[in-house]
Amino acid sequence: MKKSLTLLMIVALMGMLTLAGCSGSSKPADPPKESGGTTTPEPEKAESFDVVIRHINVRDTAKAMLKQLEEVSAATEKEVPGLKFKLDGVEDTVNRDVKLKAEMTSGTQPPLFNLFGGDDTIKYAKAGRLLALNDMLTELGIADAFFNLREFTVDGKIYGLPESGYIEGFFYNKKLFEDAGVTVPKTWDELLAVCEALKAKGITPIAMGDGSGDGWVANMLVNSLFVGLGGPALQDGFATGATKWTDPAVVEALKRVQDLKNKGYIDPNVLGLKYSQGQANFYTGKAAMLFDGSWAANAITGDTSTVKDVSGFFRLPDVGGPGDGYINGGWSNGFGVSANLKENELKAVKAFIKNWYNVEQQKRSLIESSRIPAMKGVSNVEGATELVKSLGESQGSAKGAFPAFDALVQKSVKVTLEQTVQELLGGKITPEKAAERMQQAQEKAIKEGK
Amino acid sequence: MNKILRNRVAYMVFVVPALVLYITFYLIPLFKSLQYSVTSWDGITAPVYNGVDNFIRALSDEKFWVAFKNNIYFVLFSVFIQVPIIIVVSILVSGVKRLLDFYKLTVFMPSILSTASIAVIWQFIYSPDAGLLNQILKAAGLETWTRLWLGDEKTAFLSVLVTNGWQWTGFYIVLVLAGIFAIPKEILEAGEIDGAVGWRKAWLLTIPLIRPVIVVTMLLSITGAMKALDIVLIMTNGGPFGSSEVMATYMYQQAYALGDFGYANAIAIIITVFTAILSLIYHLVNKKTSKEAEY
Repeated sequence: MKKSLTLLMIVALMGMLTLAGCSGSSKPADPPKESGGTTTPEPEKAESFDVVIRHINVRDTAKAMLKQLEEVSAATEKEVPGLKFKLDGVEDTVNRDVKLKAEMTSGTQPPLFNLFGGDDTIKYAKAGRLLALNDMLTELGIADAFFNLREFTVDGKIYGLPESGYIEGFFYNKKLFEDAGVTVPKTWDELLAVCEALKAKGITPIAMGDGSGDGWVANMLVNSLFVGLGGPALQDGFATGATKWTDPAVVEALKRVQDLKNKGYIDPNVLGLKYSQGQANFYTGKAAMLFDGSWAANAITGDTSTVKDVSGFFRLPDVGGPGDGYINGGWSNGFGVSANLKENELKAVKAFIKNWYNVEQQKRSLIESSRIPAMKGVSNVEGATELVKSLGESQGSAKGAFPAFDALVQKSVKVTLEQTVQELLGGKITPEKAAERMQQAQEKAIKEGK
Repeated sequence: MNKILRNRVAYMVFVVPALVLYITFYLIPLFKSLQYSVTSWDGITAPVYNGVDNFIRALSDEKFWVAFKNNIYFVLFSVFIQVPIIIVVSILVSGVKRLLDFYKLTVFMPSILSTASIAVIWQFIYSPDAGLLNQILKAAGLETWTRLWLGDEKTAFLSVLVTNGWQWTGFYIVLVLAGIFAIPKEILEAGEIDGAVGWRKAWLLTIPLIRPVIVVTMLLSITGAMKALDIVLIMTNGGPFGSSEVMATYMYQQAYALGDFGYANAIAIIITVFTAILSLIYHLVNKKTSKEAEY
């Protein structure tokens, strides 16, 4: 009997061990107590601890940004005794849609992580996963240092800090423009004329990769177009039903995009290419224009680019609507902080924020990584590329900025527009039908509340 | 042996660990999934019970049926195109006298690569401008045959199927080959003496004798096709405009792109049920025909 009992216990133990392997957060046992019994405290010899920073600088084009992050975290480690940062790089969509989301579900998010403003921030804040940073910002004296924290603010509490801003518009290849004898277009008709001249020269006018999962790429252009034609207030009303997707401005915008494709101005391979491939077609000089966000500047001025010194930027030409002169831009990506931090972790996070969010670092990422500052006071940008300067001019000369539509509408609406515009580019749906379908998706989303 | 079977303790020592693993990694997730499938849940806040709403929604969801249809294509392609090719190639290879190992190795190669690598490699092959396939077509003067393979709704899913076939054919060929080599020589020799040579031998002797292996191959193809996810996710991500979506990628999209975990769990349950039904049908058909084959 005794023997069988032992065996049973072995079995139980094996079972437990198997299960223990599953739990991700197996905590180490209590730290070994110091033996000897003497009570002399060890001065300044803090226990060492790790703090994970989840970032998205994993691509080759983000090397400079990663280096900057490494240097700042190394400097912060010296300030906080015992601190060791662990940089955990994850590709941006994987982090946003899969990894961070799963961690948020189980409450195991890292102390510091890359976070998007808007819908994501609201959801996580409501679930109580994010730390409100208002007090910390006041303490560090940077509460008023940011241009705009709107996308990270929920009910007056700030849950994240943008690293940099963005604007969207056309990048163009000055040399190809010169060869074709055209200049930067000011109106939509001029843009069409420019495209025609480029096409006649055998150059793809607009590079774009909107295939497979990258349906959001074409929507940057669609977004700027319908705001240009209908004004910024148009998209503010979608989520509540105050305005409709069947608005003539949206239909016209969809028409113009389809027109660009049908006339061969947008790369005919658009549905067979990924976002990065579309981008590459521009920065290897195969296409003359690229509608993209300012973050692309990094790739365009990167090592593999052949158009480094000949590329410029202009915002969407005037399209003849109330939104002319406005630019799609904002500050929507940065760091969030976990709500469940231990005291020493909080100290580490605070030190990191102090070292990361200052004018000096903002200036560095502008010059080295072509990132638009999120904080005020960056000046004397000697060393910045011509491209970054023209980005700055476009931002400065705009009448105002409007956020990307996907920060304003429900997620299901965003996904529906991606598929619908893909169909539009594939010639499978008319602009009118597309607008109707969008409105149906919008009404359904309002009804279901998601 | 009998002694051990009668010793309950020893019995448990052997069975319990496996049972614990089975319960932890199979039964608990399955029942959790079942539990979440009747809720409206965004993955973060508390799930809200909503009865069979998710299932009703799935069955009336046009896009879900597109995905289901693609799964069925997947199954049909596997069973009626892939499996015959596998059998023919296996019989051919089994008759080879020299370099047998070389052939075996060559056909087996693709299945040791990870699906992710294969999907990326074939993405390059299908790439519109620089892609191998279009380049070959152009070089052969078939310019009009070039396509946006993965970007055209007519060819996208077929392209994925071909890639999947390329990956797994070798694995099954090796499986079938093992079956062929296990046939006792005497039977084949006797058949040859009676005049069964060439395709007659294959059709009347070899295939009936390796029937059990073919049955397993088909079953694996069917279940593999029903749960296909990775290769579609990487190659087309369901695109263009959802035309190459399969049930598993649709589930993935609902969960991770739209944050509708309740609905995604319902789809997971539906996939399980459909796969079980299909396997059952296959089992019944197989049982019936195998009885007939005995006479």
